[in-house]
Amino acid sequence: MTVVTLIPLYLIIIMAFKPGNVIFHGNYLLPSLKLFLGNFKVVFESAPFFTYLVNTVIVVSGILILQLVLIIPAAYAFARMKFKGSGILFILYVIQIMLPLEALIVPNYMIIRKFGLIDTRISMILPFIASGYGTFLLRQVFKQIPQELEDAAIIDGCNHLKFLWYILIPLARPTIVAFSIVSIVTHWQDYLWPLIATNSPEVRTLTIGLGMFVQQESGADWGVLMAATLFISAPILVLFLALQRTFIRSFMTSGMKG
Amino acid sequence: MKRLLVFVLLAILVISASAKVIHLKFFYPVGVAGPLARVINNMVSEFNKTHPNIKVEPVYCGNYDQTMQKVQTAVLGGNPPDVAVIEISELFTLINMDAIIPLDKYVEKEGGEEFLSQYYKAFLGNSYAYGKIWAIPFQRSTIVFYWNKDLFKKHAKELEAVGLDPNRAPRTWYELVKYAQILTERKGNEVLVHGLILPGGWNDWIFEAFMYQNGSYLISPDAKKANFDSLEAVEILQLWHELTNVYKVNPPLRPWNTTPVDFSAGKAAMMYYSTGGLPLILKTANFRVGVSFLPMHVQYGTPVGGGNFFIFKGIPKDHQDAAWEFVKWMTSPYWAAYWSINSGYVCVNKKGYDEDIMKEHLKKYPQYLVARDQLKFAHAKIMAPEFQRIRKIMVTNLDSVMLGRKSPQQAAEDMQKGIQAILDRYSK
Repeated sequence: MTVVTLIPLYLIIIMAFKPGNVIFHGNYLLPSLKLFLGNFKVVFESAPFFTYLVNTVIVVSGILILQLVLIIPAAYAFARMKFKGSGILFILYVIQIMLPLEALIVPNYMIIRKFGLIDTRISMILPFIASGYGTFLLRQVFKQIPQELEDAAIIDGCNHLKFLWYILIPLARPTIVAFSIVSIVTHWQDYLWPLIATNSPEVRTLTIGLGMFVQQESGADWGVLMAATLFISAPILVLFLALQRTFIRSFMTSGMKG
Repeated sequence: MKRLLVFVLLAILVISASAKVIHLKFFYPVGVAGPLARVINNMVSEFNKTHPNIKVEPVYCGNYDQTMQKVQTAVLGGNPPDVAVIEISELFTLINMDAIIPLDKYVEKEGGEEFLSQYYKAFLGNSYAYGKIWAIPFQRSTIVFYWNKDLFKKHAKELEAVGLDPNRAPRTWYELVKYAQILTERKGNEVLVHGLILPGGWNDWIFEAFMYQNGSYLISPDAKKANFDSLEAVEILQLWHELTNVYKVNPPLRPWNTTPVDFSAGKAAMMYYSTGGLPLILKTANFRVGVSFLPMHVQYGTPVGGGNFFIFKGIPKDHQDAAWEFVKWMTSPYWAAYWSINSGYVCVNKKGYDEDIMKEHLKKYPQYLVARDQLKFAHAKIMAPEFQRIRKIMVTNLDSVMLGRKSPQQAAEDMQKGIQAILDRYSK
């Protein structure tokens, strides 16, 4: 398993450091002996990649924070409160999981344009914050928590918010963490919507920069493409390697006590 | 006195109008390797420097399909760009969306036919529809024939033994088969070097070239009759089938964008490919690269490809005027040559070949001239309503012939049936 996932990563790394006329000659599986940085030079000359990196971090974390702020209360309401029309409302919420992004591009574009937000970072955040997927996921978790726990909490003087904050969220932590990982990875890779919603390099994201090296008509310059790929995926790789222990711990301690 | 006042007012108006800077949004795709976005940015900033009244903002929009998507979304959202480079076959879609303006008035003002004559005729073919001109050529390519001179030399004796010249590319389909057979290197059943690659992906484009070489066409110029079950078409399918499945000199459906990698790595002796691949191939190949006309049958022939400039509807008139200035400037001799040198596209402006930078460049890389010379035999790419669907039908059937899943005859009939049905719907 590990080997299968590591081989492409290994190839990306060694290809990124080889000049174009060497990559496919001789044994392409072996790293070159000389460290060649020309590909990275081309990458950074082609587009403002550091600006793109900053923008991507802003957009991805913006999406995640707003998603959590919205979906946790929404999931709580759907799971533990009875109100009129909650069934229909929930179905509507879940339907959005099934709508492909491509179908929503034109309506989203019109809304964003109405708000005058075309070509801003916010335009890349807004369409994703009300995640039907995340709401559904958390609702299922919240629903599994026994009613007795809530009753006990209320007797101890908890209101809805306190119950949510002190009991449900800690219990749902593995799900929240898992959702966050999926959200970060998904939106780190968003391409079509940012491409359509933005125009200027000042607000654009990494994937758009990467797109410049994937070629339709001529075949790609693989060394440069791999250098760009490495630069774009490195932050997320490092992030996950660094947080790996935390993730695992949060899954380990997730058993319900009491 | 009154007249003087009017005059002064008018003068003020003119001055203030000319002092107003017009901001243009320019959508462009990048279709070939290399830091082309930067090349575009350089050209645009040079334009902005020399035109203080106009400020063009270049907007990178991905590949051709994504650019079209972005343009369509923007047009539907009531926020069209001012000017864009779009794949040439999208002309009818753009007109049906009522997205673009005809350019006849501007062309007229510049001198009509004389102005247009600076562009290669083959590149203008895809600019006309409904008796009007809608587009100006910019990043344009054709298919050319690439061959590995070193591999030809390696097999010189065998080639000469059957009367073939190892110092040139095959000139006819007949020779193509012979060369390919000799140049294919095998070890048991495994092919070490492919004699030829007819890449997949855009094989509809290559098929079109073969049809022209066979003295035929895909769809009649009035877009009413499909010509896929003709003898000429079946003959081509038969040839492709034999190259791939009988002689096994052509690997079936090599992906379009890895084909140049095979060629540059010396794993293929010959290939059909876009001129757009030339800079990368020259950069990555460790052997002498030959570029030639596509082999002929009854005549030479190739379709053109690439992207054209379009100017949009739904923007102020002064924006359209400024966009025209920009288009004219970008395709002027010097800048067309500059673009060609940096991108590998054919220079669309004939006078571009007289520019010093171009002469200098051709001295180093005479291969760039082949595409231009082949333009004499080039045809406009087919244009039809629902082009993407027609293309899909072609690609599916060509693929199944290459994979040996359909007989040439069957594929020809299926293409004819599917495509004629689409044409019928529109010609009523």
